Amino acid sequence: MTAPVIEVEDVWVRLRGHTVLEEVNVAVYPDDFYAIIGPNGGGKTTLLKVILGLLRPTRGTVRILGETGGAARRKIGYVPQFRTFDFEYPITVQEMVLSGRLGHITRIPRRYDEEDHTRAQEALETMGIAGLADRQIRNLSGGEQQRAIIARALVGDPKVLLLDEPTVYVDAPTAAQFYHILDWLRRQMAIVLVTHDIGVIPEHVTRVACLNRRLYTHDTNEITPDMIEAAYHCPVDLIAHGIPHRVFSEHVEEE
Amino acid sequence: MFEVLGLEFFRNALIAGVLASIACGIIGTYVVVRRMVSVSGGISHAAFGGIGLGYFLGIDPLLGAAAFTVATALGMGALQLRARQQMDTIIGAVWAAGMAIGILFVYLTPGFAPDLFSYLFGNILLVPGGDILLMGVLVVIIVAVVALLYREFQAVTFDPDYATVMNLPVERLSLLLLVLVALTVVMLIRVVGIILVIALLTLPAAISRLYTTRIWSMMLLAVALGIAFTLTGIGLSYIANVPSGATIILVSTLAYAGALGVERLRQDD
Repeated sequence: MTAPVIEVEDVWVRLRGHTVLEEVNVAVYPDDFYAIIGPNGGGKTTLLKVILGLLRPTRGTVRILGETGGAARRKIGYVPQFRTFDFEYPITVQEMVLSGRLGHITRIPRRYDEEDHTRAQEALETMGIAGLADRQIRNLSGGEQQRAIIARALVGDPKVLLLDEPTVYVDAPTAAQFYHILDWLRRQMAIVLVTHDIGVIPEHVTRVACLNRRLYTHDTNEITPDMIEAAYHCPVDLIAHGIPHRVFSEHVEEE
Repeated sequence: MFEVLGLEFFRNALIAGVLASIACGIIGTYVVVRRMVSVSGGISHAAFGGIGLGYFLGIDPLLGAAAFTVATALGMGALQLRARQQMDTIIGAVWAAGMAIGILFVYLTPGFAPDLFSYLFGNILLVPGGDILLMGVLVVIIVAVVALLYREFQAVTFDPDYATVMNLPVERLSLLLLVLVALTVVMLIRVVGIILVIALLTLPAAISRLYTTRIWSMMLLAVALGIAFTLTGIGLSYIANVPSGATIILVSTLAYAGALGVERLRQDD
């Protein structure tokens, strides 16, 4: 079996006296399309921060491609939450995408060379936004902004793409287009998707885990009733709000 | 009024205005896009502690202010990176404490502090030649550092989390940026005074932001606007015989209000 790209081992996080994460273990493999779902406040963002090295866990370790520490994180392509993004910042699409190369430049002061420009151009073309390169990010549609953010994550040659609530603020057609892009990208890298919106878990994911302080895993892409119950403590309410039935196992449908 | 251009004090005032505007346009751009306005306000008021310290030790108060503001900036930066909460309260405390330290030092210094008022409210027409030299050196340092680290500063001010994931030295870059803010504040003290520093630091950049799409173009326009505001302010204050610092700030504020008004009209179309 191939080695995991992300290994989270026995991670605990206590923030201001509250246990946010408890004994969390995750292994993401190169061909995984991993969805982590859970209620708001369940620790999803905290787990992402721990993986990204933005937050030091109280206990436990995170390994990226078998390594710990800052240098290994450059193998992660991070797509932050849309809402936290500063679209008013005076930066063009091309400058933003190029900035994703900075982690790979070792000479100081950092300067972009021809390869950096080529890679940025490729990422822009992959995302279909090459024609918008000189626009300020404010002057893009929501879908275009999201593709620009993904393009920035792609220029760093990531082995795994980490997406935080990617579809919360986009409309349904944009979300569909977005999952189409992910389906295409997952041939090249592992994908970890974090969301509180169970309704959008597409048929494409290979594994699902529920996070509510503890992580409830299942090695298939099904959300099982016991996972939901353990993570949300209120299964009836959730089913009433329309989870696409394809994510449930057979016996749930028979009920 | 052209005969005054031959006078040394007036030439010094113009040079000081231009130098201050260069620093303001460049550093003010980061202050505006990174939303560091209140931190910068705290740093600038804490500078008064350094002025007082300078009087007390019998050295150039501006030199005292430089050392004091840099130390304050580093302290606040370290707190900001670690504490993460109640930063506005911490800024308020540093703001007041700096002023209080300054008042105590001035009180403890024997004799009368003659140009204390000019540090608080600025008097660009009284800038001595030595201060022009100090300002020139600071401008060179600021321009050189920003030119070298332009991409790094862009990454850190745009999306610090992503910069951390890319393994850039985010903490050190953030502290360096605060030190540059502190040095800029020191330069501005002569021009508009401690109390009005924050306006000249932020207004040209804030106006420039409305019309530019990149950091470097925002800086260039902010520098040009800063020069226009300070020179207009100096001219008006000379003609009307009113304080120069306050005049410069009012010119800048009016321009900002005008720019926002025009922007509002354009969006309504």
